[in-house]
Amino acid sequence: MNQDATLAPRGPQLVAPAGARLVYGSLAIAFLLGLLPWPGQWRWLVPDFSFIVLLYWNIHAPHRAGLGLACGLGLLTDAARGVLFGLHGLVYVLAAFAALTVRRRLENFLPPGQALQLAPLFVGKELAVLLLGLAAGQTVIDWWTLAAGPMAALLWLPVCLLLHRLAGRPSAPPAAMAQDK
Amino acid sequence: MFVRVMGLPLRLSLYVLLCLVLMTVDARYDLLHQVRAGLTAVLHPLQNQLARPFRYLQEAFDFFRIHGELLRDVHRLQAERRELLLLLQDRELLQAENLHLRALLDLDTPPGYRAIAVELIQVLPNPFARKVVVNRGSRQGVAPGWPVVDALGLVGQVTRVYPNSSEVSLITSPEQDVPVQVLRNGLRLLVSGEGQDRLLEVRFLDMHADMQTGDILVTSGLDGRYPAGIPVARVLATEPPRHSPFARALCAPLAGVGKQRQLVILQRMPEGVQPPAGRP
Repeated sequence: MNQDATLAPRGPQLVAPAGARLVYGSLAIAFLLGLLPWPGQWRWLVPDFSFIVLLYWNIHAPHRAGLGLACGLGLLTDAARGVLFGLHGLVYVLAAFAALTVRRRLENFLPPGQALQLAPLFVGKELAVLLLGLAAGQTVIDWWTLAAGPMAALLWLPVCLLLHRLAGRPSAPPAAMAQDK
Repeated sequence: MFVRVMGLPLRLSLYVLLCLVLMTVDARYDLLHQVRAGLTAVLHPLQNQLARPFRYLQEAFDFFRIHGELLRDVHRLQAERRELLLLLQDRELLQAENLHLRALLDLDTPPGYRAIAVELIQVLPNPFARKVVVNRGSRQGVAPGWPVVDALGLVGQVTRVYPNSSEVSLITSPEQDVPVQVLRNGLRLLVSGEGQDRLLEVRFLDMHADMQTGDILVTSGLDGRYPAGIPVARVLATEPPRHSPFARALCAPLAGVGKQRQLVILQRMPEGVQPPAGRP
């Protein structure tokens, strides 16, 4: 038994890099999800789907999803939400930078741990959008939209499960698997 | 030859700068209007298409919701209609009662008697006698033997008295006999109950007695129970003697015996006492 273990290849399981179709397709679908006619009275609870998926690909496929993609997606969101051009772009770029910086650490956590660590990022994103709007001269601000941050953190788990499966990734990271053994 | 890839912080600052410039330009100038217009020209139809299935769904839900509301309304209105019909029925009842009460008020009490208005509580399910219970008793001064009338004629007499109610034997009760006389010629007779609501009988009639269909029988006052002159019955038919030496006559009570809810007990005043001036 031990011999088998020693003979078996050690180290993290190799995962094929995510294809461009998967990355951009999932981002497009998430973006369209955000465009759906959500009921007005619950709109403030609806998280930013494309932002969640963007962070996922920032962490798991940085070669596809970098700062440029974040900026483009942010500008598109600006157009869709009818806010100042560059507002979401700036926030997305900053968030993507943060995610890219900590991605190696995050990759070794299970989705719940990741969600906990990303929660400040999600909430911070909503807060940054609100504060930037405030700075840009908006006077009426719906602070309830901050609730979308925790919602996004909660949604991180199903998004991870789904995209892990689509990308052919093991559901548990190599480090966690090593701990299990 | 080496291609220098820009570091992450550098790229970050470039993008941040780009976004800041865009924000400033968008806030201060109208330059980006065309860009925004182009993007929304794509986004809005897309949004519209995305919303379409939800609109259909909403319409379907609305259909069922409105259907449910209509059903609820129909049920509510039907219930209301039933209640209104009941009220209407009640009103008709009240009107009839009112008419009857007015007739009772117009009733002339015989001299020496005082009228006590009573209301029927219960028709006793007695298989042997026709009796009803009215809502006045010994506390109100009712005593056994007092006649009970309504606006049209004699109904019966009080046979049992309880504190707050009394039992009235109707003249249609088989054991009840009323001394009467024919209004037309003064012929004195006894009319007895048959145990049927609309039938009285003169049992032992002389076969040569002068009695015709349509004759009115009134109390004769001979027994000292009933005051004289209260209408009792109308003769329906006379039968010649068949199995017995006596003829008999069938009569219909004039009063609404067993029908009316409001009745009057005639209280006999002691000799020399004048009845109160007012009506009951």
